[in-house]
Amino acid sequence: MEKAKITPKQLFVLVVLFEIGSALLVGFPVGLKQDAWIAILFGMAGGVLLFLVYYRLFLYYPDLPLTSYVEKIIGKWPGRVIGYFYIIYFIYIAARVLRDFGELLTSTIYNRTPIFLIMTVLILTISYAIQKGFEVIARVGELFFATVYLMAIVGFFLIIFSGLIHLEHLKPVLEMGWKPIIKSSIKETLPFPFGEMIVFTMLLPYLNQAKKAKIVCISGMILSGINFILATIINIATLGVDSFQRSPYPLLSTVSKIQLFNFIERLDVLFMIYVMISGFIKVAVFYYAAVIGTTDVFKFKDCKQVSFPMGILILITAMMIAANYSEHIKEGLVTSAVYLHLPFQLIIPLVLLGTAFIRSRIKKASEA
Amino acid sequence: MKKLVLVFILIIFSIPILGGCWNQRELTDLALVLAVGIDKGEGDKKYDVTFQVVVPGNVASGQNGGGGQGPPVVVYESSGDSITEASRKATKKIPRRLYYAHTSIVVIGEELAREGIYNILDPMDRDPEFRTTTVVIIAKDKRAEDIISILTNLDKLPMNRFIKTLESAEAMLGENIKLNIDDLIGAITSPGKEPVISGFVLEGSPEKGTSPQNISTTRPPAMVSVDGLGVIRGGKLVGWLNNFHVRGAVWLLNKMKGTEIKFDFEGKKDAVTTTPYLSDTDVSVTFKNGKPFANVDIDTAFKLSEMDTDFDIEDPHKIEELEKKTSDVIKKEVEAAIKEAQKYKADIFGFGERIHKSNPKRWKELKDDWDNQFAKMDYKIQVHSYYRESGVRGKPFWSDMNK
Repeated sequence: MEKAKITPKQLFVLVVLFEIGSALLVGFPVGLKQDAWIAILFGMAGGVLLFLVYYRLFLYYPDLPLTSYVEKIIGKWPGRVIGYFYIIYFIYIAARVLRDFGELLTSTIYNRTPIFLIMTVLILTISYAIQKGFEVIARVGELFFATVYLMAIVGFFLIIFSGLIHLEHLKPVLEMGWKPIIKSSIKETLPFPFGEMIVFTMLLPYLNQAKKAKIVCISGMILSGINFILATIINIATLGVDSFQRSPYPLLSTVSKIQLFNFIERLDVLFMIYVMISGFIKVAVFYYAAVIGTTDVFKFKDCKQVSFPMGILILITAMMIAANYSEHIKEGLVTSAVYLHLPFQLIIPLVLLGTAFIRSRIKKASEA
Repeated sequence: MKKLVLVFILIIFSIPILGGCWNQRELTDLALVLAVGIDKGEGDKKYDVTFQVVVPGNVASGQNGGGGQGPPVVVYESSGDSITEASRKATKKIPRRLYYAHTSIVVIGEELAREGIYNILDPMDRDPEFRTTTVVIIAKDKRAEDIISILTNLDKLPMNRFIKTLESAEAMLGENIKLNIDDLIGAITSPGKEPVISGFVLEGSPEKGTSPQNISTTRPPAMVSVDGLGVIRGGKLVGWLNNFHVRGAVWLLNKMKGTEIKFDFEGKKDAVTTTPYLSDTDVSVTFKNGKPFANVDIDTAFKLSEMDTDFDIEDPHKIEELEKKTSDVIKKEVEAAIKEAQKYKADIFGFGERIHKSNPKRWKELKDDWDNQFAKMDYKIQVHSYYRESGVRGKPFWSDMNK
C-alpha cells in the first residue's frame, strides 16, 4: 500500500465525479420511458444501503483494502483467489468505462480518428496520474469538481432559458406500473452506477479521518444521485420520450439543442469537456484500485511497478471487449449486470460481512 | 542528460497527436449545403435529390458592395435509391466534399410527401453533422428541385429567404408553422398526434427563376411564397389546410403570434379589422358519455387596426361587441380547422396525446381506433378576446367630414 492520505473533502469530490461519470453518458434506464428518473431514485436508495454493507466491512478493518481483509476473513488462499477476481473485475470495469468514452468521442466529434488512438491518449494521461500517486488524483478531482459544476450550472440555466423544458413530456407518470421500474432499478441503476461504490472499499483506508467515511460517501452518492435524476428529467423534458430512447447519448442531444439569441449554440463542447473530466476520474479510480489490489495480492513492493503494465492491460481489454458499440452496450447493461455486478457488488460483500460478523462474535466470546 | 533526451522524444511523439489534424478538413474543400430538396425519382431510382450549395465568392459582401459576379448558390442534382446513395453520387459532379452542418432547410416534393416521408427522415435524424434544427417544408404542387433552384432577392441566399419568410409569416399572419426535423419526428412518434408541415408554392415560371434575371428586376418572374399547411397521417401527406383553416389550426396548436381578423360591424361588410397579438390556448380532453370530448379555451388580446365605419370607440358596449365579434371569428376558424382535420382523420392537434398524458388507461382502449374516434369527436370552443388599443388615433379621420 502506498502511503497516501486524502481529506474527506477530496473523497467527497471523487465519489461525486466517479458516480456521475459515465452514468450521465450511457446510464439512463431508457426502457422506462418517462419514468426513468424513478428507477434512479430507487437505485440510489439501494446503493446507499449497499454502501452501508461496504462501510461495515471497512469498520472491521479500517486500515486494510478489500483484497487484504478478504484474506483475513475467509482464509489466506480462498481470500487471495477472491481478491484476484476483484482485481480482474476492476480492470474489466476500467476498460468498459474507457471504451465508453472512446466510443462517444469517435461517434460524435472524432469521426475518422481510430478509437485505439483516442483511448491510448486517455490511458497514457491516466497512467501518468497513477504513477504520481493517489493524492494527485484526488487533487485533480478537486480541481475539476469546480469546473464540472460551473459548467453544469451554466448548462442548466441555458437549457431553461432556451425554453426547451417541456415538463408535460414526463406525463403520464407510472404508465407501465411499478413492476418494470423495480426490475430496472435492481438490474440497471443499482449496479450501475451506485453499486460501483464497491471500488471505494479499496480506497477508504486512505482517508485521513476514518470517522467521516460514512457521511462523506453517502452524501456524495446522494448528491450525484440528485444530479443524475435532474439530468434525466431535463433530458426527457427536452428531448421527449422518443428521442430520449433512441439517442445513444441523450445528454449530448439535449446540450446540443441549446439555442439562445441565435448566438449561444452548439455547446456540445461543454458536454465533451465534462466527459473528458469524469472519464478521467472514473477510469483512474478503477485503474488505481486494480493497481493497489495487485500490489497487495501479489506482494509487490511498490505499486509503481504495476501501474504502467496495468494501463496497457486496460487499454487492450478495452479494445477487445466488444466488436462494436451495440455489443459493448448490450454486454455492459445486460450481461455484466447479472454475471458480474450481482456477485461482486452484492453477494460476495454480503457473505464477507456475515463471516466477519460471526468471526468477531467468536473472537469476543473466546476473549470473554 | 538521459532524462532530457527522453523528454525530448516524448515531446516529438506528442506532436502528431496534439495537432488534431487527423480528421482535418479545410474550409476550401467543403461544399456547404444550404438546402436539400428531395423528390420522387423520375428515372429508375427512388429519389431525386437536389443540393443547394453556396458559392462563397459570390456571397461575401465586403464594405465596398462586394460579392463576385454570378449567382450566390449553385444547385446540383443526383439520384439514388437511398438518400445516402444520392448524396455520395452527387460528389461525381461536385469538386468538394458535401458538408451538411449548415443545412437549414429540407424541401420535400409533394409527390414524394404523398407517398411517405418516414424513410427520408432517418438519415437526417441519424447524421451527427445534420442539425436537428433544420426546417422541413413541402413544395406544394411542385417538385422540390424547382423551389430549391429559385434565386431570390432581399436575401441573397435563397435558404435564408425561405426561413425568414416562414418566420415573418408566422409572426404576422399565423398561416404557417415553422417546424424542424426534431419537432416533426417528435410529432410523428408521439402517440395520438400527427404533424403538419408548411407548404411553399412557386408563383411564376420555374425556368426564369433560376437565372440572375430573377434578382435583377423589381418584379421577379418567379417567386416563392408560404402557402398552406400539409396534413400528415401515418407519414403520408393526406391533404392541405388552406387560409383560415390553417389559422384555426395555428390557434389550436397554441402557436399564434399574430394575425388579422376582419368582420362586419354595424351592418357594414368587413368594416373592422383587428390584430390579435398575444394569445394562449388551453386544450383539455375529457370524457362525456364515455366519448372523448375536447375543451378548447382561447384567450387573446387584440388591437384595432382598421375601421371602415364610424362608431364611438370609447363606448364600453361597442368594445364589448368588438370583443365578441373577434371571438366569434376565431371560434369559427378553429371550428373549421377541427372539421377539416376530422375529414382527413388526422389528429394534428394532439388531442390523443392529451388523453395519453392525462388518462393512460383510457388511452390504451382508444389508441387502436384513434383516427376514427378523432373523426367523430365532439368539442367545445370558448374564446375570450380582450381589446387593448386602437393605435395612435381614436376616431377615423373622415368621421367628421361626412357630417
